[in-house]
Amino acid sequence: MSPLGLLLISVLVFAGGAFLALLCFKSDRISIYLSGIAGVIGSLASLAASLPVMLEGSVVNYANAGLFPFTHFTVRFDPLAAFMVFVIALLVLIASIYSFSYVQEYEGRGAWTMGFFMNLFVASMLVLMVVDNAFYFLVFFELMSLSSYFLVIFDQNEEAVNAGFLYFLIAHAGSILILGSFLIFWWQTGSLDFEAFRGAQLSAPLASLAFVLAFFGFGAKAGMVPLHSWLPRAHPAAPSHASALMSGVMVKVGIFGIIKVGVDLLHATTVWWGILVLTIGAISAVLGVLYALTEQDIKRLLAYSTVENVGIILMGVGVGMIGLATQQPVLAVLGLLGALYHTLNHAMFKGLLFLGAGSIIYRTHTRNMEELGGLARTMPYTGMAFLVGAMAISALPPLNGFVSEWFTYQALFNMSLHGEFILRFCGPVAVVMLALTGALAAMCFVKLYGITFSGMPRSEYAAHAKEAPAPMVFAVVLLAAICVLLGLCAPLVAPVIAGIASSLAGGVVVNVAQGTLILPGNAEQAVLSLPLLTILLIALPFVPMVIGALMKGSRLARRHEGDPWACGYIHDAKMVISSQGFAQPMRFMFAPLFRLREQLNPSRPLHAGMHASINGAARSEAVIDTYIITPIIRVAHWLGGWIQWLQHGDLRVYCLYVVAALVVLLLVTVA
Amino acid sequence: MPNIDSILFAIIQAAILFLIAPIFTGISRVMRAKMHSRKGPGIFQDYRDLVKLMKRQDVASAASGLMFRIMPYELLGSVLLIAMVIPVFSLASPLGMAGDLITIAYLFAFSRFIFSVSGLESGSPFAGLGASRESTLGVLVEPTMILALLVAALICGSTNVGSISVAIATGQVQAPTAIFMAFIAFGFAVYIEMGKLPFDMAEAEQELQEGPLTEYSGQSLAILKWGLALKKVVVASMFVGIFLPFGTTTSMSPGTLLIAAVLYLIKLLAVYLLTGLLENSMARGRFLLTSRVTWVGFGVASLSFVFYLAGL
Repeated sequence: MSPLGLLLISVLVFAGGAFLALLCFKSDRISIYLSGIAGVIGSLASLAASLPVMLEGSVVNYANAGLFPFTHFTVRFDPLAAFMVFVIALLVLIASIYSFSYVQEYEGRGAWTMGFFMNLFVASMLVLMVVDNAFYFLVFFELMSLSSYFLVIFDQNEEAVNAGFLYFLIAHAGSILILGSFLIFWWQTGSLDFEAFRGAQLSAPLASLAFVLAFFGFGAKAGMVPLHSWLPRAHPAAPSHASALMSGVMVKVGIFGIIKVGVDLLHATTVWWGILVLTIGAISAVLGVLYALTEQDIKRLLAYSTVENVGIILMGVGVGMIGLATQQPVLAVLGLLGALYHTLNHAMFKGLLFLGAGSIIYRTHTRNMEELGGLARTMPYTGMAFLVGAMAISALPPLNGFVSEWFTYQALFNMSLHGEFILRFCGPVAVVMLALTGALAAMCFVKLYGITFSGMPRSEYAAHAKEAPAPMVFAVVLLAAICVLLGLCAPLVAPVIAGIASSLAGGVVVNVAQGTLILPGNAEQAVLSLPLLTILLIALPFVPMVIGALMKGSRLARRHEGDPWACGYIHDAKMVISSQGFAQPMRFMFAPLFRLREQLNPSRPLHAGMHASINGAARSEAVIDTYIITPIIRVAHWLGGWIQWLQHGDLRVYCLYVVAALVVLLLVTVA
Repeated sequence: MPNIDSILFAIIQAAILFLIAPIFTGISRVMRAKMHSRKGPGIFQDYRDLVKLMKRQDVASAASGLMFRIMPYELLGSVLLIAMVIPVFSLASPLGMAGDLITIAYLFAFSRFIFSVSGLESGSPFAGLGASRESTLGVLVEPTMILALLVAALICGSTNVGSISVAIATGQVQAPTAIFMAFIAFGFAVYIEMGKLPFDMAEAEQELQEGPLTEYSGQSLAILKWGLALKKVVVASMFVGIFLPFGTTTSMSPGTLLIAAVLYLIKLLAVYLLTGLLENSMARGRFLLTSRVTWVGFGVASLSFVFYLAGL
C-alpha cells in the first residue's frame, strides 16, 4: 500500500474514532475504549506510512482540483512531513495505550467528548503535516487549535477556562500573523499552493516581512519567549495525556511551520533570519528553564521546560538557516539535524514526564510537589521511568537528550569557526547560553525527581499511593526505553535524520556516523562513541563494588531504618527542603530575570487592553447615541407628528386629499 | 572501536588517578593544618579513613531507597570515565571517542545530578540543602568552564581535548593572550570544582560538597569520599593536561611516559599547593552571594573570548 493511502486510512481511523466516541455518549467506558483503539490503529497506520518515506527520502505528491480555485487540494508527503508524522504517531500510540486506564478517571464527567476532541486533534495535526496549500493549511491549523482548546477547558473550572481563553487569544493572534504571511505570498504569486510559494520571487523586504510574520505566528504556537505565557497555563489544565501531546508534539507543529516557511518556502536566503531565530531560541531556552526551576506545580514546571526545549530546537533551526544563507551546507545540515533530533527526543521525554505526572495525579490527586515525596517506593516502575526521563531531559550522557544537544553544540562550534564576525560572535554566546541551560535543567530535574519521588512522603495521599495501572506503567516504561535507545543507537538514528535535514538543505550528504561513532561532518572536529560511553558508564561502577566486596572484613549487614538525622531534633517531613527552598538560590541570583517575567506577562496588558476596548466601546456607543441615533429619532418623531396630522382619520379630509391630488395631476398634464 | 592499547592505557591512567586521589586530599589536609599551626594527620590519613569506613556497617534512614544505594557507585563510575578520557600522561586523549569537551562537561553534570538526587533521597534536611547548593554551584561554574574550554577549542579547531593539548604543547596557537585568559578562567572554574573556600569547605560536615553525604555511612560513605577525592584530582589533572601540557609525550615508550608521569605529579602537586595556599587565606562567604564572586571567573572567560575575536 502506498504511504499516502496508509496515511489516509490513518486519518480516517482517527476521524472515525472521534465520531464513534461522540455516538457513544451514553457510555463513557465504551467511548474510552473506542477512541483509544482508534488511536492505536490510526497511529500504527501513520507509522507505517511515514517510515518508508523517511528512510528513502522520496517525495509523494497528490493533487486534486477542489471546488473553488483557492481550494486546490494538494498533498506533499516529503521527508520532513514524514518525520513529523512519525514523531506525532509514535507519541499518540503510547498516549492512546495510556489513555485506556487514565481516562477512566473522567468516567461520568463526559469522557466521550474527550475522546472526540483528542482524535480530532490528532487527525488535524496529521493532515496539517502533508497539505500543500495555504487554504487547507490554515483550516487544519485552526481545527488543531480549536480541538486542543476544548481539551484545555475540559475541567470547566475557573483555572481551566481562563487558561483556555488565554490560549485561544494567543493561538488566534498567531493564526492572523500566519495568514498575513501567506497573503504576501498570495499577492505575489496569485496562488495559494505552496508549490507556487516555493518558486515565488519575493523582493528582499517582502520576503523578510513574510518570514517575520510567519516566525512570530508559528512561534506563538511553539511557545517561544515572549509568546510563551499561554503554555504554562494551558498545558497543565488539560488532561495529562492531552498535555503530553500538546507539549510533546503540538508545539512542534510551530517548529515545523517555521522550518516550512523559513527553509522550504523562502529557502532561508538572508543571514539575519537565522540570527533572529537563534537569538530568540537562546533566550527562550534560558528563561524557560529558569522559570521552570521555581515552579512547584509538576505540570507547570514541565510546561515551562517545554519553552526551554523549544528554545534549544530553535537554536538548531537558526544555525541551519544561517548555514543555508551563507552557503555552508554542512553547517545547515548539522543545525537542522540537531533541531530535528531534539524534536524527536523532546517528544519522547516530555511525553514520558507528562504521562508520569499524570500517573502521580491519578494516584494522589495533587499536582503540588510540596505534598508529594517518597513516591519511588510506592510507585517504583513509574519512578524509574521518570528518573530516566529526568536524566534525558537534563541532557545527561548517554541518553537521547544529550545526543541532540551534542549535535547542536557541534553545529554552533562549526559556525563559530568560520565566517563573518557576527557569526563568530553569536556562536560562542549561544554555546554559553546552552551550557547555562543545561546546568539549570539538571538542577530543575534534580528538584522535580528528588522532591516528588525521593525522601519522605509529605502528605497522606503520597504515603498511600499505589503503583499506577498496567497500561499507564507500560506506556511510561516504553517511553523510557525509547529514550535510552535513541541515545544508544545514535549512530543508526543520526544518519536518517541527517538525510531529512539534507533534503531540506539541497541534498548535500554529510557524514554523521561511522560504525559506532557519531561525528559532526568531519572526524577532526570531534567523534563520540555512545555505545562505548554506555558500556563504560555501566561497567565502571562495578569497580568500587568489587573493591567494597574485597574489603568487606567483618562488616555487618546494611541497616536502613528510622528517621534521618536532624541535629538531635525529632525529624519531621516539613524540615526537609521544599521545592521552593531548593530553587531559592536561583531566585536570588537571577532576580532581574524573574522580574522580567512580570513585565513580559501579557495577561496584564491584555486585560488592560480588553478593559480599554470595552470602555471605549461603551463610550463610543454613548457618542453614537447622542450625536447620531437621538437626532434621527427626534427627526422621526417630528416627521411622525406631521404625518399624524395628515392622517386625521376624517373621511372628508381624505376626500379632500383625493380632489387635491386630481387637481395637481391635471395641472401637471396640462402644463 | 578503539584499539586494545588505547583502552589499556586509559584503564591504567584511570587506575593511577584513582589510587593517588586520597594522597592529594591528605596533602591538602596536612597543608591546612600546618597553616593553622596544627600538626595535622599525615598525608596517608585518608587511606586509613577509607579502609576503616569500608569495614563499618551501612546505616541510613528508612527513606533511603535503591537510588540512594546505587548513587555512590555511579558517581565514582562517572568520574572514573572522565579520568579515562582526559589527556594526562600523553598529549592525545587516551580514549577520545568516549568524550570530547562537551561530553566531559556533561559527565560532570551527570555526577552532580546523581550526587544531588542521592542527597534528596535520604530525606535529611541537611542533605537536601546540600543538594540544592551543589546544583547551584553547577549552574555558576559550568558556563565559565565551557566558555574557557570553547575558546581553546576554537583556537585549535577541535572539541577533542587531546587535540587542544597537542596544539598548545606544540605552540601552534594563533591567539596566545586569549589562551592565557582561558587558562586563568578555567583555573578559576577548577578551583570552585575542587570545593575550596570561599565557595565551599570540603572537609566540613553539613557543608556544600559534603552536605549530601550527611546520611551516608560505612562502605557507601567510603566510596563517595573516594569519588569526591578523585573528582578533585580529575579536574586538577584536566587543567594541567589541557593547559599545561609541557613535558608530556606523544610517544608511548616507557621512558618518556615515566618522565611525563613524574612531571605530571609535580605539576599536580603545585596546583594543590597553590589552591591550598589560596583557600587558607580566604574567608568563608555567604552562599547566596557566591554568584558575585563567580562573575569574576565568567568575566575573565568572556575577556578571553574577546581576545580570541580580536585575534590577540
